[in-house]
Amino acid sequence: MKQKLSGILTVLLLLVVQIGFAQQKMITGTVVDSEGLPLPGVNVLIQNTNRGTQTDFEGNYSIQASEGERLVFSYVGFETASMVVGNISRINVTLAPDAAELEEVVVVAYGTQSKRSLVGSVVSLGEETLEQQQLTSVTSAIQGNVPGVAMVMSGGQPGENPTIRIRGIGSINASSEPLIIVDGAPFNGNINSISADQIESMNVLKDAASTALYGSRGANGVIVITTKRGSLNTAPTIRLTAVGGFSTPAVETHEVLGTNQYMQWAWEARRNTNIANGQNSATAGQNAATGLIPALGYNPYDVAQPVDAEGNIVPGANLLWETDWEDEMLRDAALRQEYGLNLSGGSERTRYFLSANYLEQEGTVKESNFERITTRLNLESEVKDWLKLGLNTSFSKSEQNYPAQSGTSYQSAIQWIYGVSSVYPLYRRGEDGSLITDSAGDPIYDYGATGGQTLNAVRPIFGNENAVGSLYNYINLNNRTNFNANGFATITFTDYLSFTTNLSYEEYMFDGFVYANNEVGYASNVGGRINQDRDITRTLNFVNSLNFDKSFGDHTVAADVIMESMQSEFDVFGAAGEGFLPNVTNLSGRTSPTGASGYIAEERLVGYMGRLSYSFADRYFVEGSYRRDGSTRFSSDTRWGDFFSVGASWVISDEIFLQDNEYLTYLKLKGSYGELGNNRGIGYFPYVQAFNTGWNQGTNTGVLLGGVTDPNLTWETSQITNIGLDFAFLNNRIEGSVEWFDKESVDLLYDQPLPMSTGNDAITTNVGSIANQGWEFMIRTRNIVSRDFTWTTMFNFDMVDNEITELTQESFISGTKRWEEGRSLYEFYIQEWAGVDPADGRGMWYRDVLDANGDPTGERTITKQYSQATRYYVGESLPDINGGFSTDFRYKNFDLNALFNFSFGAQVYDSSYASLMSGFETVGYQQSPDLAARWQEPGDITDVPLLLASQNDHTSTSTRFLFDNDYVRLKAITLGYNLPQNVVESVGMDRFRVYLRGDNLWTWQSHSGIDPEQSLAGTTNNRSYIMKTVSLGLNIEL
Amino acid sequence: MKKYLNKFLFLLTTVLVLGGCSEDFLEDPQPAGVVSEDVVFNSREGVEAYISGIHRRARGQFTSGHDAGGINSVYFARSAKGNDVIIGTSWFSFDYDQDNREPTYRRTVFTWEFSYFMINQANTLINGVEASEALSPEDKADLKGQGLALRAFYYFQLAQEFQLTYTNDPSAPAPPIYLELSLEGHPMSTLEEMYSLIVSDLTEAIDGLDASRLDKSYINKSVAQGILARVYQVMENWQGAEEMAHAAWTAYGSTVEAALAPETYDNGFNEMNESPEWMWAMPQYEDQTMYYFSAPHAQADHSNTSYYNAYVNDEFVNRFSDTDVRKLFYHAYNVGPTDYRYWVTSKFIFDNFGTDVPLMRTAEMILIEAEALYHQGQVEEAHELLYQLQVNRDPQAVKSANTGSALFEEILVERRKELYMEFGVEWFDARRLERGITRTGNHRIFKNLEPNDRRFFLKIPQAEIDANDAIDDSVNANR
Repeated sequence: MKQKLSGILTVLLLLVVQIGFAQQKMITGTVVDSEGLPLPGVNVLIQNTNRGTQTDFEGNYSIQASEGERLVFSYVGFETASMVVGNISRINVTLAPDAAELEEVVVVAYGTQSKRSLVGSVVSLGEETLEQQQLTSVTSAIQGNVPGVAMVMSGGQPGENPTIRIRGIGSINASSEPLIIVDGAPFNGNINSISADQIESMNVLKDAASTALYGSRGANGVIVITTKRGSLNTAPTIRLTAVGGFSTPAVETHEVLGTNQYMQWAWEARRNTNIANGQNSATAGQNAATGLIPALGYNPYDVAQPVDAEGNIVPGANLLWETDWEDEMLRDAALRQEYGLNLSGGSERTRYFLSANYLEQEGTVKESNFERITTRLNLESEVKDWLKLGLNTSFSKSEQNYPAQSGTSYQSAIQWIYGVSSVYPLYRRGEDGSLITDSAGDPIYDYGATGGQTLNAVRPIFGNENAVGSLYNYINLNNRTNFNANGFATITFTDYLSFTTNLSYEEYMFDGFVYANNEVGYASNVGGRINQDRDITRTLNFVNSLNFDKSFGDHTVAADVIMESMQSEFDVFGAAGEGFLPNVTNLSGRTSPTGASGYIAEERLVGYMGRLSYSFADRYFVEGSYRRDGSTRFSSDTRWGDFFSVGASWVISDEIFLQDNEYLTYLKLKGSYGELGNNRGIGYFPYVQAFNTGWNQGTNTGVLLGGVTDPNLTWETSQITNIGLDFAFLNNRIEGSVEWFDKESVDLLYDQPLPMSTGNDAITTNVGSIANQGWEFMIRTRNIVSRDFTWTTMFNFDMVDNEITELTQESFISGTKRWEEGRSLYEFYIQEWAGVDPADGRGMWYRDVLDANGDPTGERTITKQYSQATRYYVGESLPDINGGFSTDFRYKNFDLNALFNFSFGAQVYDSSYASLMSGFETVGYQQSPDLAARWQEPGDITDVPLLLASQNDHTSTSTRFLFDNDYVRLKAITLGYNLPQNVVESVGMDRFRVYLRGDNLWTWQSHSGIDPEQSLAGTTNNRSYIMKTVSLGLNIEL
Repeated sequence: MKKYLNKFLFLLTTVLVLGGCSEDFLEDPQPAGVVSEDVVFNSREGVEAYISGIHRRARGQFTSGHDAGGINSVYFARSAKGNDVIIGTSWFSFDYDQDNREPTYRRTVFTWEFSYFMINQANTLINGVEASEALSPEDKADLKGQGLALRAFYYFQLAQEFQLTYTNDPSAPAPPIYLELSLEGHPMSTLEEMYSLIVSDLTEAIDGLDASRLDKSYINKSVAQGILARVYQVMENWQGAEEMAHAAWTAYGSTVEAALAPETYDNGFNEMNESPEWMWAMPQYEDQTMYYFSAPHAQADHSNTSYYNAYVNDEFVNRFSDTDVRKLFYHAYNVGPTDYRYWVTSKFIFDNFGTDVPLMRTAEMILIEAEALYHQGQVEEAHELLYQLQVNRDPQAVKSANTGSALFEEILVERRKELYMEFGVEWFDARRLERGITRTGNHRIFKNLEPNDRRFFLKIPQAEIDANDAIDDSVNANR
């Protein structure tokens, strides 16, 4: 291996011209900052040559130089220093901070700007932040680090991406997802194809001034990802990363009943139902006892009637099995391992970055996993003084085994754990309860659909399925291949005028493969089934821009004229077949082909835009931009939209009256307003009313009228105001920002509900508006800064209010919510639980008392009929406050970093728990031990109704299962150790770091049993559990 | 600088050229997988494709519940509410429990939404054919006739599912009526209005239709007559019922013997072309299937993998003589006679996903005619027709000595024996005759329906009330 590596190194070294000169001597030294702290990574370059190096982790460098040559030391955030080589061979340098480190350059829409000149709201996450977490999907790093961004992680299936909402929920039916830009081009693939170690920065653009140039697609914010590029005049550096660890669910699951308790309470429920149907108590008890096993269909005991007429387990009855579905379904420890190799460097004119990364992560549910290989080569060359060319390419391939683990399909893992009682066996049993084996003597999964057997044969729930068996007998594979090539050329006409053209091509292939077994399960009666889809998304994006940037004394003027065109194709192909021999899992093995489908959907977009900015004395900044977009998603009459923004900022601290203030280091006021568009999430031709093909009847071709459409559908527009204050005190010891925003989306792309009796349940039209208003606060402090010990902290939070500001009709019901002017999109509007009547144990709900005209009088009464209960606004699924804090300690070679995120004030409706508390309404469903508190006899004061083995409304949607959903989570913690530099160098390395890392290790939550991160709407969907991971990692730089 | 000027101009030109073409660039993409209204209504083939699509949709999965997809699930829920069929603890058990009718329950929402979805398609079909200038008058009459019959069929289902029977109170509120695409909700109608529309639609349809059709899943004259026979049966227009039923079944054979095929009765009821008895059906194909939504087969068959969820009442089984071809009952489970799982039937076999579902058979028409004759005082003719069917099913059948109401009851029992689990015959008869349903024998749940019990119909879905300005919460008061 080592030999191989050095072979590669040799080749790479040949690529990069590195020729030493005679008569040189070795110069060494240390580079520190004004506080004496060593600065790693400082570029040390001999002026007018291509010879250079970087300082190591302790700020040391060594370089061959001749007397009289000039060494140039440069580092981001510091002023560049230079020293002439004299007769001494040790040169120590102290770098002064650059006019505050605010000269930092930030990637913005179609270009870069200095942080100081920004008029908009941008939060930048650098490499160091991304390195502090184990990111399977890179955008997860935003959580807890960026105020104003609501995130919901995606459960226990690795390779799934989080839900991201920047500054509230700006759309109802159109997409509220932010636009993702990778190296200047919109990204249409799956973001899980990019590994974190390839990313130099990930910037979150939040306001109109920052995003306006993405005009039509910027309304929900933009995430700009810039990949690493290498540096000019730098020796090749190899960086190896290895991280490995184990995961388990981050929070405890709901408790479920054991068999004995289950049987006793199931008896009680049946008895209660019998009594309600008019039987006397003794008969009811007797009938409940005799009817229990036939109702369950299974008898897990060694006696024929295990429960007696009083509801007790009969003496001497022994359990033959008691299935712990959670144990069978979920992993004890899921493996995660990631290995990365990065090579970067540059000569005088060319720089390069080459990366390969391998990741394997297992999921919470057995057999679920994600395996990815991703590679990238970024190359950039200043071919001539006036011409720069570059090409960024990446290739990624991933394989995701994705057994169903959310939703209500029968195989859905969490639903199964909470749905199927331990009464039902994992493996098939005979009528006498004995294990049935196959010819090889192995047990057979019980699918609950054994014909011709009286007992232990037909499960009344989830018939013909076994979710554990499905993990092994079915295949659910997602293969993704992502190829990206992004070429660009910049022609510099003069020092103030340049032209850049950028052409990017992306091809993303999703290959979904589903195999259902030929012998067991839902396709067994047709000998198994395979559905395979191969969907290709091709995107071609072409941007041409003319950039002008010139200073005249104190005046600086910049102008850009940009034209963009985007062409995207969604090429779908699918096939299905049935009838397979055992163990044949390819489509060619089918007996009958049952399906073939394919089409190509296409969309295009053209945009023209301009940006003009002016600054005076580097203190006053104004900027305006305009964009006009045409999209194929709207008809030719309505497709063009105009978008713009204006913004200004003022560096107050540079004013004379503050210049000498000893506390205040920096103060900037900024503001912007703009209008942006949204056309996403509504399909390709949402305005076309047409007949859909594919509805064939036998051999007769068939078409069917599609849903009703609005031919005048047009852009949804967001009007965004942002006001912010950036500040720094005590020589940047404390720095932070406060921002206020108001984002109003008008002409929403909205699926306006229609009465079902019209034959259409909704029409997508431009209706209504919603506003999101909020405050964002962020502060970083450097509490202790000394040579051996530093301690820094970061704290941020946001408070965002969502409000519907205009609707064309009084209100709409949308699931558990009702939308009405003045209310939030996410306010629960459901029946209010009024507890249990102590007299008869029945559930009660509140109901408005109506006057003669049918209007509420304001008084409330209680009803036992759910259908009469009134719905009320009872809480919201969006938090009042959402944020994160982190703390970072460094002591000599040790470092400890922790990041927490938190959310308070939200509510969640836990339907899993509702199902567990259904009180044996449906026979065979798993139940909760919390039913111990059930009503049993008149006079019982409790909140849990009597058990009833018949349909009732006790678990119908009501506040009974609406819970506060506050939580604090230790999202990431890392304890690291860097081997001392002298030791590292003595073995020929630049850096050696080892660390112990934990993700989601600790969670405090106000409602337990489910993960606090479920969905924006605060509803649950049997989703598998988010994982906590403990890993050991190693970084080596050569 | 000057030497770059050419390059610059070239690039600028490129940009401008691209810009100039942008309108064409944006016009290029066209929707995939759809056809326009012109294509559909400009030829007979186009309209037939649309009719095919409508029939296909009628037998598709519609909601997530396997008890709510296709008109067959509405039919099977009706069967579940009777006395002859027993439902296990899986799908349709809430219908069996007589309480699946609240405004948010799946049965309620599905029956409403599905029927109106089909009605809107039928309206588009009727109005599109009427407006078409490319179709011949004969084609128009035929194609429009199919649309009218479909529309009437679904309004007939709504009328039965959301109000008591017509003869109880014709002025009672019934679901809204739409004759064209509307974005506004209409108010509730009355049974009178609804039945008047149903009769006029079917009458016009019968005039325009003839015997031809693409296959048995389409509506021809006899199917439209069959639907109208059922409608008249509910309205107690016995003359009309007799005329329509007779015309309907005689299209399949001029005598009772010719219109029936007893040898196919035990074939599994899953192949529409196998028997001349089948008038109208929902075919399934392995590549066009509703999978386990295929009630009754997927519920009633206990010999092939499916839900094993429907059983037969012990007392009902005893009504069949041993030589009756329809006596297809057996013990699938080793349980005693009081256990609800004692009897199952092999009438419906679900051995693959290509299992066709019957919607209408000649036997039903023969029995409607017999009943209509009886009500018109032609008791002997009624008795003879009944006997012809009985002896067809059981060669050893003996003509009964029943007269008067006993004969009427005999006809009703024959309907149950002939048609059980097909379209909820027991429920259909109990409703229209304003009788109750009393559960006897080895049932799992004993819940009886009184005559004109509210549980014979459903409440109006909450989602409809929420979105329809013309209907408010009071619609469900006293429902």
